[in-house]
Amino acid sequence: MNIRIPAAVFAASAILAPGGAAAAAEPAASASTVTGISSLMNPAISVNALFLGETSADDDGHDANRIGLQEAEMQLTSVVDPFWTADLVVAYHQEIGHDHGEQEADAHGEAAFATDIEVARIRARGLPAGLGLVLGKDYLPFGKHVPLHTHQFAFVRAPVAVRSFLGGHGLAEVGARAEATVPLPWYSEFAAYAVNGDAGIFDAHDRDLAWGARWTQTWDVATTATLELGGSLLQGPGAHHEDEPAGGLGVYGVDLTYKWISGARSHGPAVVWTSELILPDPEHAEGDPLGWYSHLQARVHRNWWAGFGVGQAADVTGHVDVGGEEVETLATWNEYRANLTFAPSEYSALRAEISQLDEDGGDADDLRFSLQWNFTIGSHPAHLY
Amino acid sequence: MKIPNRIAAAALAACLAFLASPQSTAAADDPLRVAVTLSDLGCAARAVGGPDVEVTVLCPGGMDPHYLPAKPSLSRKLAQADALLFNGLELEIGWLPPLLEKARNPRVRAGAPGMIDCSAALDNVLDVPSGAVDRGLGDIHPQGNPHYTVDPRRMIAVVQLVGRRFGELDPPHAAAYRDRAEAYAAQLRERLPVWRERTAALRHRHVLLNHQHWNYLCDWLGLDAIGEIEHRPGIAASPRHVQDMVEKSRALGDVVIVAASWDHLDVVREIAGRANASLAVLPGHAGAEPGTDDYLAFLDVVTQRLADAAAAPGKE
Repeated sequence: MNIRIPAAVFAASAILAPGGAAAAAEPAASASTVTGISSLMNPAISVNALFLGETSADDDGHDANRIGLQEAEMQLTSVVDPFWTADLVVAYHQEIGHDHGEQEADAHGEAAFATDIEVARIRARGLPAGLGLVLGKDYLPFGKHVPLHTHQFAFVRAPVAVRSFLGGHGLAEVGARAEATVPLPWYSEFAAYAVNGDAGIFDAHDRDLAWGARWTQTWDVATTATLELGGSLLQGPGAHHEDEPAGGLGVYGVDLTYKWISGARSHGPAVVWTSELILPDPEHAEGDPLGWYSHLQARVHRNWWAGFGVGQAADVTGHVDVGGEEVETLATWNEYRANLTFAPSEYSALRAEISQLDEDGGDADDLRFSLQWNFTIGSHPAHLY
Repeated sequence: MKIPNRIAAAALAACLAFLASPQSTAAADDPLRVAVTLSDLGCAARAVGGPDVEVTVLCPGGMDPHYLPAKPSLSRKLAQADALLFNGLELEIGWLPPLLEKARNPRVRAGAPGMIDCSAALDNVLDVPSGAVDRGLGDIHPQGNPHYTVDPRRMIAVVQLVGRRFGELDPPHAAAYRDRAEAYAAQLRERLPVWRERTAALRHRHVLLNHQHWNYLCDWLGLDAIGEIEHRPGIAASPRHVQDMVEKSRALGDVVIVAASWDHLDVVREIAGRANASLAVLPGHAGAEPGTDDYLAFLDVVTQRLADAAAAPGKE
């Protein structure tokens, strides 16, 4: 770490020294020459906070009947030099468990929180031939949901298929990603990456890199309507359970998104329909794991959005305690959700949601009512399409 | 199935190497490929560029340029552009940055010669906020009101800027760009008195705007704007604010309400009806309606519709 102590000491002495008032009257540009203090090069800073109140008809646990912080995320973005732009996202969020993505609790039964650097990346500026290069920690471009930040979710939580097979809080990994536009008559982009593989779905002790690719096609089906088809694959050393040997993990995905927005009216009607199929293929698989979801969002009035979602995670590996011994089980989870969101501006929203998660042929189910509100302050970059 | 890492890495590297190979090279006598954010600026680019440029407009004239969806196909257009003409003053901040990021075109990125910020032509930007600026003021633009293209006087300055910048990007045609810019500016200057004369009756009335989109129009035509129906820029009017606007309009008695065709007209019409005010619904930019594809025709329609509203109290 390079701390410029002499400059800081000099700056402080310049402020405290007699005649400081006269110096303050000088133009900021020349003042920084002698103080070493300037805010001109500061990054754009924004903070987003999500709060969540929930009550469950079927779960007595505190995590399902509480009001609290869901996540607070700070983002800093700046141009580093003529060659790179950097983004840093630090998040304080609820910890998400592995079994169908339920929230974890601490020793007192309270929701457990963690602080993560979710994104710490540099993006190349102006590489030749339309190439893109991203180095550092970033969300993996797998499907439509994994790359989203929590405040971009269509529902309070990620779909059960994503939570079960890819982790509840996205797949943020350290590595390198290259992107290029494919020369086709429509917009087509190919991305390939190699990463360290630190997420829960990977084996923490295997030294093999995880790698993957995504190919998306987007067609304009009307002036203000698009259809996007994406294919994703992810390979890496799979997480192993207890004494089982670690095997390779492959995950494949296909997604389809239709977007339409009224071109005739500002804040007019709009529809977003996203469906995604996730096919995990662990080397030592139990059952036939498969996940999918389909989300429909519609702007029903200027500031009001309605959302409907269904999804499933089939043959999810879990563990139950049987006579003091942990036994592996397979379960299929079905999820149904509906919500209504009021967004008076681009920077705040209030959402009411009802969701039902139940186990196929099992006793476990969870009917939950959630109230979520979020706000963003500062200079937050526009989201990608 | 697990694909061996070495084979996968080689296959992915081969794919990217293919994609990174040069896919199109512009010949020296090819027209300059110009992407333009707004249709008004597109008219200026076509008039100045003539046969020496190929113009692509990103935001259709009938769409509110604050909220254009950043479709990937627009990135594709930007990826092929030699130059980008944009409005500036943060009007396109919600969609242009992500489009440029995905375009990955060094010819059109911040600081490149191909980036032409048309607001640089202005010597007087309206509504620059003074004092503390925060989002409590609504979706304000800290650098000032960005809707200057509805003022033909300011567009004359823009046209001249475009002529100069095209000449710098394409020196062999610099004289042609300069001549065409002067010719188009002359056309605009010639129409200015006609448009002002047509709207003379409106200068004896009060004007209530739905959004600050028309502030430069009021500045040019000398209209007395009494406020906006939006409580704050980009924020829907509260019932209290609607009532205030109705009472204010009633008290003045001679109000003409001006809105763009993409605005939420239900509230606008409610105020016009309750206050017995005239309503002029205008095309927001060139191309917003049939017969307005050309910038001069667009201003013909705008000024005629204003004149009609001034002549018919209580009508739309």
